[in-house]
Amino acid sequence: MRAYWQLTLSQLRIFIRNRQVLFWTLAFPIFLMVMLGSFLGNGNGLSISIGIVDQDNTILSKELSKILAENEVVHLESNLSEDKALTQVKEGDLQLVVVIPNGYETRMKDNANEEQFELPVYYNETNIAVSQVGLTLVNGVVDGISKEKADYKPSIVTDTRGVEALNLSYIDFLVPGILAMMIMSNNMNGVAGQIAAWRERGILRRMQGTTLKASTFIAAQITARLMLNGLQALIVLAVAHLVFGVSVNGSWVSLVSFVILGTLAFMAIGFIIAGIAKTPESAAPIAGFLSFPMLFLGGVFFPVRDMPDFLQPIINVIPISHLSHALREIMNVGTPFMELGFEALILGCWIIGAFIVASYTFKWE
Amino acid sequence: MEAMQETMIEVKNLVKKYGTFTAVNSIGFSVQKGEIFGLLGPNGAGKSTTLEMMVGLRKPDEGTAIIGGFDISREMKKVKEVIGIQLQSTTLFELLTVEEILRLYASFYRVNVSIPDLIEEMVLTEKTKSRIKTLSGGQKQRLAIALALVHDPWIIFLDEPTTGLDPQARRTLWDIVLKLKEKGKTTVLTTHYMDEAHVLCDRIAIMDQGKLIALDTPTNLVKSLQSDSAVEFQFEGEFLTGELEMIDGVKQVGKRKDTYVLYTDDIQMTLINLIHMTTKKDIKLTDLQTRTSTLEDVFIHMTGRSLREE
Repeated sequence: MRAYWQLTLSQLRIFIRNRQVLFWTLAFPIFLMVMLGSFLGNGNGLSISIGIVDQDNTILSKELSKILAENEVVHLESNLSEDKALTQVKEGDLQLVVVIPNGYETRMKDNANEEQFELPVYYNETNIAVSQVGLTLVNGVVDGISKEKADYKPSIVTDTRGVEALNLSYIDFLVPGILAMMIMSNNMNGVAGQIAAWRERGILRRMQGTTLKASTFIAAQITARLMLNGLQALIVLAVAHLVFGVSVNGSWVSLVSFVILGTLAFMAIGFIIAGIAKTPESAAPIAGFLSFPMLFLGGVFFPVRDMPDFLQPIINVIPISHLSHALREIMNVGTPFMELGFEALILGCWIIGAFIVASYTFKWE
Repeated sequence: MEAMQETMIEVKNLVKKYGTFTAVNSIGFSVQKGEIFGLLGPNGAGKSTTLEMMVGLRKPDEGTAIIGGFDISREMKKVKEVIGIQLQSTTLFELLTVEEILRLYASFYRVNVSIPDLIEEMVLTEKTKSRIKTLSGGQKQRLAIALALVHDPWIIFLDEPTTGLDPQARRTLWDIVLKLKEKGKTTVLTTHYMDEAHVLCDRIAIMDQGKLIALDTPTNLVKSLQSDSAVEFQFEGEFLTGELEMIDGVKQVGKRKDTYVLYTDDIQMTLINLIHMTTKKDIKLTDLQTRTSTLEDVFIHMTGRSLREE
């Protein structure tokens, strides 16, 4: 027991005295969070630039522009010539161009004409996701106008509330992702690098020559890293709260539970890497090889559902996606731990599986 | 005194193979309580491998050893409680202080000595609160020995404790090892310095290519040469070893690179004859030296090679 505390204490001392590592492991996630949070803004993480070419230039055509502009997602560019607007769509400066042809007002006021009036909308197929949202928006507006004109009373309407009630923005999505990323890289890369270096330098071998048990050594490693991770997570949450006003909606107990689960899972993977890496120099690239794809596939920066279908099986297996999802649910929606049993189970499987593999691959020297 | 002797280490036919290469080939010896026992040999002779098998860091392929009454193949945990080890080229946690790392290692054992006293004995008092990375080579090596002593072991294993140290630091370390002997500790050390083996060791096992080729006290080993002096020289031109062997008093002729060594029990006669012969043949001698025979010469005598390959 004394050995356990002394080892934990020593590891914490090493963490604290290694100022540079301490700084960069914290600075990087915070920097990423502040940068992405500021650039991608507090909106819905989506903004659509629509160009309006008003050839009609009448009260009604201006009203159409105004309705479009009222949508907070839409950034409207008017006073464009048709050619210029189309070039901008091609270059990606505008996602959509709506052309209101001459005779729009006349046609709208002429109730007798049963022929449909066509409103040309141009979009760039290369950015289909955003264009589709824009098209839906324009369709909605046009549909509204046309229904109003026909004096149409809908019998069914949708009632959109749900997520809007929580008033979520991209930063709310991002902060739990950053937490998950930090837990992954600090533990997986950290453990792999440190253990491989200690082995290379004979530190582990020297300890093997004492009566110290390997289980005590690993338990102390885990404890020290949990303390450090807890502290780093708190700092990131504090920055997120102060800068962006992000708060934890769910219970702290659930949050801490998943921080622990994530730490253990990635530490275990780190131990495997330390076991298979022949030199400390090769530990970092191996850890990078695993952490880099996980960063993009694991729902850290973008929602998992945005990923192509063929990647979904991988996404459903890797631990980071479950960690980031669980942290997000707890922080954003306030989902209780019991409802995140599936995520906890997957992480638990990773912990057990990886520690079993690590116990076979681990070498003292 | 002989009757009081107690065997602390009994090594029985240790064998270690790496593929087809036999690193340690059936080594056996015993060490008495209070002895300083040296394993002497060139790099790659199998000294460190032998030592590492004795302390449980490598599994012997054959044979075993009884250390402090415990069998290394069955009771390693008990062995570890009674031995203290200092390994070759171990680095420590650079960011911890001397006192912190000693407390850390002490926590691994049930029995501990007083840490401040230990720091004092290892001449590290003024470095107590310094970080390990600020220590000099000699200080680091003394700290490594201190770490081997935190649990008051009976037997101490030191693997090349003075390699790479300056002469001053080596002497400080020798004093420490000799003080351990005064305290009744048993020490096993490896070295490739014969002067060190001569000064420190009560008995020396000379190893070469995985085999034990001699085991005796330093004095007896040198005596076994039957020649107490050596004459070393270089020269320009050709020489026949046979001619050198004919010189009066010469017991043996050795050659190391360009240097010839004549082992003799009558240095005066040998020198006069050597000068006489070379003058007659008009051969120019350079770098002529005489000295008393050392363990190095014992090693050359037995293997035909030098301890340290230059």
